[in-house]
Amino acid sequence: MRIERRVERQAPFSIIVEGETLPAYPGETIAAVLIERSPTIGRTASGAARGMFCNMGTCSLCMVTLLPEGRRVRACLTPAEPGLEIGLG
Amino acid sequence: MQNADVLIVGGGLVGCATAWHLARGGAQVVLVEAGDIGMGASGQNAGSLHFQLERRFLENGEALAEQAAQTAALNRLAIDDWRRLETELGADLHVVMDGGLMVAETAEQVAILERKVARENAQGINTRLLDGDEARTLAPCLSPGILAAGFLADEGHADARSVTRAFAQAAAASGASLHSRSPVTSASRIERHFEIGFRESTVRAERLVLACGAWTPILCAKLNLHMPLYPVALQMNATERTGPRIGHLIQHVGRRLSMKQTDAGNILIGGGWPARLASDPRGAFDPAGKPVLIPASLAGNLRAAIDTAPFVETLNLIRTWTGVTAISADQLPIVGEVPSMPGCWVAGGGSAFTLGPTFARLMAQAMVGTPTPELDIVSPARFEHLNSFMG
Amino acid sequence: MAERYDLVIVGGGPAGQAAALALEGNGLAIGVIDEQLRPGGQILRQPPREFSVASWMTGKVYAPLLKQLRQFEAATGIDWLGGRSVLGLAPDAGHGFALTVSGRDGVETIRASRVLLATGCQDLAVPLPGWTLPGVYTAGGIQAFVKSQQIVPGNRIVMAGTHPLQLLIAAQIVASGGTVAAVLFAQKRRTMMRQLAGHALKAAREASALLPAGAAMALLQRHRVPVRYGESPVAILGKDRVESLRSTEREIACDAIGLCYGFVPQSALPRMAGADMIAGSRAGGWSTECDAWFRTSVAGLYAAGETTGVAGAAAARTAGTIAGTGIAIDFGLVSEEEATSRVSHARSERARHLEFADLLDTIADPSGHFPRIEAETIVCRCEDVPSATITPLLDGRSANAVKLASRCGMGLCQGRNCEPTLLRLLAGSGRTDEDNGFTARFPARPVMLGDLAAPK
Repeated sequence: MRIERRVERQAPFSIIVEGETLPAYPGETIAAVLIERSPTIGRTASGAARGMFCNMGTCSLCMVTLLPEGRRVRACLTPAEPGLEIGLG
Repeated sequence: MQNADVLIVGGGLVGCATAWHLARGGAQVVLVEAGDIGMGASGQNAGSLHFQLERRFLENGEALAEQAAQTAALNRLAIDDWRRLETELGADLHVVMDGGLMVAETAEQVAILERKVARENAQGINTRLLDGDEARTLAPCLSPGILAAGFLADEGHADARSVTRAFAQAAAASGASLHSRSPVTSASRIERHFEIGFRESTVRAERLVLACGAWTPILCAKLNLHMPLYPVALQMNATERTGPRIGHLIQHVGRRLSMKQTDAGNILIGGGWPARLASDPRGAFDPAGKPVLIPASLAGNLRAAIDTAPFVETLNLIRTWTGVTAISADQLPIVGEVPSMPGCWVAGGGSAFTLGPTFARLMAQAMVGTPTPELDIVSPARFEHLNSFMG
Repeated sequence: MAERYDLVIVGGGPAGQAAALALEGNGLAIGVIDEQLRPGGQILRQPPREFSVASWMTGKVYAPLLKQLRQFEAATGIDWLGGRSVLGLAPDAGHGFALTVSGRDGVETIRASRVLLATGCQDLAVPLPGWTLPGVYTAGGIQAFVKSQQIVPGNRIVMAGTHPLQLLIAAQIVASGGTVAAVLFAQKRRTMMRQLAGHALKAAREASALLPAGAAMALLQRHRVPVRYGESPVAILGKDRVESLRSTEREIACDAIGLCYGFVPQSALPRMAGADMIAGSRAGGWSTECDAWFRTSVAGLYAAGETTGVAGAAAARTAGTIAGTGIAIDFGLVSEEEATSRVSHARSERARHLEFADLLDTIADPSGHFPRIEAETIVCRCEDVPSATITPLLDGRSANAVKLASRCGMGLCQGRNCEPTLLRLLAGSGRTDEDNGFTARFPARPVMLGDLAAPK
């Protein structure tokens, strides 16, 4: 839930997550955009649903893939940018 | 004072496997390990099962290459040993022997590869020379820049983390007595026996096996023996897990590289890149200290990996670790009984993961008098001159 | 950015800022590296520049920290190197250190004559059945979403654990318009009160530090948020995501959970550098051992703030001031005598903060309150290692040996989450040998191979 009280954001843009278009506000991390969609952001080694955990760059459970490049980044540290395409693997 | 037939120093692959063979044969075996079982080079190496001539033997002149090729008999035995191992030990060791590719990127490297394949074939190792396209058909992960590859169907990899543990369990089940966290505090030869102290015990044994990697020369010194084994620190790398992409062991004929994918999906990247050994306050190398990573080694190793299999470029590195092993003065392993000190056996000096199960089996055989001509080429006898002034 | 600094400070929180400010104007080239884009640390994790947030962090206790933050941001002569992760540091050819640093543009080497580690702390990860379900966060993770990203990560949140910070986080959620289903303290209320009373004399002087907790309680009461004591989480339930929490008393429907059992120092870098470490707080972990000027056992390497022992932001700030002044001594910029008088106020302030920190540590002590782990409960989240895999390995071997045999600690986080759990399991199994935990390995954070293969 994005907090509305006392917060002003700039005009949103879109990013694509697993083919799905999601709104993102300038300054938001990829993690923030993802968590508005679902707490699940991937699968664990054994195939179970995986969520993020520490939100401070320490646990790496929020690893996502930037497409098409393939670079894998921690979503909680990486700002969303217009046109960004993300894979959750 | 406890008595044993054989006392083994070193709870690595060779020590534990030797303990298993001897205990199975009815010998009373005591094994002492300074740390935990399988935590030295046996557990820290990247688990390659490599039977093609190693790059390090090809870049130091023809004589060494020819000498190394003489170990082919050992390689042939090792291939059979590894194929049997999981069944014999009743353990899942992630042994994968689906073949290994040693790749070449330049015309010069292709020429080295051709000579190498010819030399191996002459020794009964059935390496095949593939051109780049054939290699890529077999291993689609390979770069378009790969011009040729030596392919040996018997190569592969195994899980270094579990092999030694499985040998240790089998040894214990066969009656061997294994003591971890038991550094050797004293070692002496008294008449025809050895007396080895550790923790609060002393064990008296007719035979002593020193299989403690970089510590082997240190233990030899306690017995007034020179053993030309030198500690080296290597660094290896693991990527995050990824889907199945590499089925083979991949090595490089002209660059330091070994690469494979584990059962869990991590790509392990190594190939003999050095880390810096720690030193003790007196300036001597300290195999117990944590080696310092060398950034240029890291970059060079990863560059070689990316040039060989470009898909790894976007994977994350999750761990670079270091391990300390020992190399011998002539790069060949040193395995066998020390002529000037009958009853004292050493095993170490390289390739001791790939060849370790075989070294152990042959040493155990030799101790009960079975001829083991395959070990002649690696016998410590070739360094006896060093002990001619040691009294 | 300079290729070579006199001093690199890792961490732009209260300790790092204070150290930089203590040295500002001395002519030293100082760079401050932080994983976040903006300075502040976790305590003042700032909203993105693109947001406009009215009355951000207005609580009285934050005032001195905010003042320092604005000073730091205004300071000239300090290079802010945000959005970068330090992957490792090593002695640099006999002089100073080479830090391997990754950022948006790849990997670079930053050299520094001296390095101050002010890397803060992290939440103690506490396993219980179901804790790997999406929707379970560290308390600090939830708080950072609220403070910085201005997001409440759930519609109905349960906070559970032993650390009083969860009251503040619950209040922040409620104040932001979110819903907190319950705050559960595993310890009994009367135990907490007794501990508080036992410290009363000392704590009275630090009463202001307790005010935020009181204000939070009042707010939670107004919003009818149940705060329960002596109630522990037993299991987190749900199919593919959190649906409820089962406590020792009841089942509570929720879609997000914050676990709040305390904090452990970030110790990857000092351990990698070979600094001497000591056991952390009651929550566990490893603290960097330091002398009175926050010099570590490694020449030229300093540590300040939570990485030397979790004691809160106010204490971290004083430590930063002292460390910065100590670094000035070592650069020959100030005599030890002058430095000593310069930091006398910081030292007396610090002593008070440490008293309060000790009280908090006592009250928040999670030992004895950890949820029961079942055989199938995951201990190592990165590698999906359940406790059943680890239990048979608890035969006296070291943490490193358990790691090698089980994969526990071999994943992306390098064991940061599972190490305290494993060390508790090892201690509980009767192991008496000293265990220094996992050997710290490069890189401290995952990094793309291609970036390392072609460093800038």
